[in-house]
Amino acid sequence: MQSLLEMAGPGLRFAAALVLACLFTLFVIVCSGAPPLQTLTLIAEGGAGSAGKLAQSLSVWVPLVICSSALLLTFAGGIWNIGVEGQIVLGAIFSTGLFRHIEGVGALPAIALGLVAGIVGGALWAFISAALRVWGRVHEIFSGLALNFVAMSLCLWLIFGPWKRPGIASMSGTEPIPESLWLSHLEGLPLCPVSLALSVVVFLAVFVIMKYTRWGLMLRAVGQNKQAADIMGLSPHRRQVEAMICAGGLAGLAGALQVVGLYHQLLPAISSGYGYTSLLVAMIASFRSVLVPPLCLFFAVLNVGSIQLPLRMSLDSSLDGVIKGALVLSVLLIQGLEATIRKRRGRLA
Amino acid sequence: MRIDIRDLHKRYGDVQANRGISLSLEPGRIYGLLGENAAGKSTLMRILAGYTRQDQGEILFDERPAHVTSPLDALALGVGMLHQDPLDFPALSVWENFVLGGVKRNKRAAIQRLLQLSTRFGFDLPPEAAVGELTVGERQQVDLLRLLDLGVKVLILDEPTTGISLAQKDMLFAVLRELAREKDRTIIVVTHMLSDALTHCDEIVVMRRGRLVGHLNRPFSAEEIVCLMFEDRVLMEAEACHKQRAADEILLSLKNASIVGESFGLPGLDLSVRSGEIVGLAGLEGNGQELLLRGLAGLAHLKRGKIIFCGKEVRGRSRTEFRRSGIAFLPAARLEEGLFADLTLEEHLCLAFTEKMSRASDLFQRRCADRFQLRAAPASTARSLSGGNQQRLLLSLIPPSARLLLLEHPTRGLDIGSSRQVWAYLEECCRAGSSVLFSSVDLDEILTHSHRVLVFHNRRLFADVPTESLNVETLADMIVGRGKAA
Repeated sequence: MQSLLEMAGPGLRFAAALVLACLFTLFVIVCSGAPPLQTLTLIAEGGAGSAGKLAQSLSVWVPLVICSSALLLTFAGGIWNIGVEGQIVLGAIFSTGLFRHIEGVGALPAIALGLVAGIVGGALWAFISAALRVWGRVHEIFSGLALNFVAMSLCLWLIFGPWKRPGIASMSGTEPIPESLWLSHLEGLPLCPVSLALSVVVFLAVFVIMKYTRWGLMLRAVGQNKQAADIMGLSPHRRQVEAMICAGGLAGLAGALQVVGLYHQLLPAISSGYGYTSLLVAMIASFRSVLVPPLCLFFAVLNVGSIQLPLRMSLDSSLDGVIKGALVLSVLLIQGLEATIRKRRGRLA
Repeated sequence: MRIDIRDLHKRYGDVQANRGISLSLEPGRIYGLLGENAAGKSTLMRILAGYTRQDQGEILFDERPAHVTSPLDALALGVGMLHQDPLDFPALSVWENFVLGGVKRNKRAAIQRLLQLSTRFGFDLPPEAAVGELTVGERQQVDLLRLLDLGVKVLILDEPTTGISLAQKDMLFAVLRELAREKDRTIIVVTHMLSDALTHCDEIVVMRRGRLVGHLNRPFSAEEIVCLMFEDRVLMEAEACHKQRAADEILLSLKNASIVGESFGLPGLDLSVRSGEIVGLAGLEGNGQELLLRGLAGLAHLKRGKIIFCGKEVRGRSRTEFRRSGIAFLPAARLEEGLFADLTLEEHLCLAFTEKMSRASDLFQRRCADRFQLRAAPASTARSLSGGNQQRLLLSLIPPSARLLLLEHPTRGLDIGSSRQVWAYLEECCRAGSSVLFSSVDLDEILTHSHRVLVFHNRRLFADVPTESLNVETLADMIVGRGKAA
């Protein structure tokens, strides 16, 4: 088993994890009394069975890819940016806020400004975490988690308070932004081509930055050994703050795109847990950025496909969460097993 | 216990660590196992102690073949090993460490037994203190007592004298001698320090490139041993000393400077270092040498006073500015503090010299291969380098413009050939007008290479003496606080 794993490397490792996760998921499905194969086919068909479904999955893919790319930056710099979820929300809030007040500007500049506002919002939220980490010695996992709750509360307060629809306040969100500011969709499909293009650009940019620029190299160095980076004069704290700001900005962009490209209003579920999902993606990919797009697609299909479960089989759609969780655990388990086998072989051979 | 090793082979991947070792060890004697880095000493000892298994060959304990597959098996046979870095639980107390992996006892019985053993050997170990607060030497003592309590008949010590004080070293060898005499224990000391082996061992075994190349009895000839260890690669000339007279120009001066570290501070430092001068920092570890180096490197806080380098005050500068102004610092923990384990050699060079990745191979050739004979693939990671090559890499990352070189234990863990190369480079830097401050536990190294010695005692700068007026004995006295103060 060990030599097999060694030969095929990451690809086979992921396949093994997938098999393990599927087995576990099947076990859960069987336990809940549903026909297992039919359930899985339903998810696959529901997420990629038609052009419409695929477009829907791709529109989920957009924020996932942007946020996972953002997390590649912070992971490389040795920071666990759990706060990415809140950064998406802040991006959405800032761009909605701007659209509510902007007047007398053309549609295109207004949209561009809206995206920039989103970036600023996310970056600001991330900067709070970064500053607490670097100058306040508060671990970013704790501050990020706390700020996620604050962001969510802020969003709800705006929806039910100052930004509520005239007369009513409801979970269905704020008053939609003027239709002139909507990014257009593909004909008949729920997918915004501009968002899609932007997400591809973001991924490629992060890929190039991490692989070919000195800043990316410095970031990786800081993530590996902060002390050595300090001695070498790489200003590790500054690099970490920069990485957080960039990541937050990207998450904010994802949030803004949710507003201009998809929902056209601020919703309580504007971030839809995509931040947490991208954390899973980044964890599985662990620095191998090429894995990010396919992993995101897999999770997007899963996400969209599992909506079919309650509709067609009266199963809870949280099966999607079960599969996601099982997959991450399987990947970590396979990695752990591999390390154990390698160690044992080293000791006994 | 008598040990017979017969035709032992061991291979790690591409490296043949042991090739056909045959060796007999008699009870009641202290053996010194000498050899360059990667000569296969540790592998041989790890096989004996059950941490790994041989590919071929057999080992007989008291003329009986044994099947040892784990350290526990080895301990049951009576073979115990003391590791270079103590394998203990720093957060637990001394008596808890004594009980864990030792004979099962309740607290009272454990403390009683511990005190009984430590009194016998003259150790002073507080049973309730956390092991993490002890010195390396004391941690070693705890581990030693644990093994003795288990009744080991063969005791293997891997580099036991690194990081412990002179007094602790003398005490350790006195105890080892007693242990060898009583109950016919066999004691094997793996070491880099030729002088330790010459003074304290009954027999010396020399390994080179996985082979056993010499087994000598007293009286030893140091010359012969060094020749065995290094073939003719290092000529047996007396250690050539290239140090020159320092210039008169003052490169660095401290005026009533107070440097504050995590657990203590060095107050009121007044000293100056001339251009081209090599200053050795002597003292038991943790008495301020590291703090002074780190303070000068900008890594520890300067609380009061002034540090003037090249005529300019350095206070308030960032670490990056320190480095840019020509101050280089090389930490003792090379892989932990100095290098990036999973980055390649080329990536290290790019980081250090702010050059484009595309020019890295040229840089590697110039800085590493030509200058320091670093023989490794430019795309290999720092983790894969040997200790000597890690130090070569660190040296090659020093900017050529550096004028003040601060080094913690520059040759720790290096073989003689690599050490000489390091010193040849440092002396060359000094001829070009740079100054060197270095700390070391090897008094010979300090006396050979420095113009001046700063002695630290009791977390203070105790003396500042020119090397001419010192010898090993007077220096050793000052380290423990005797002799003339500054």
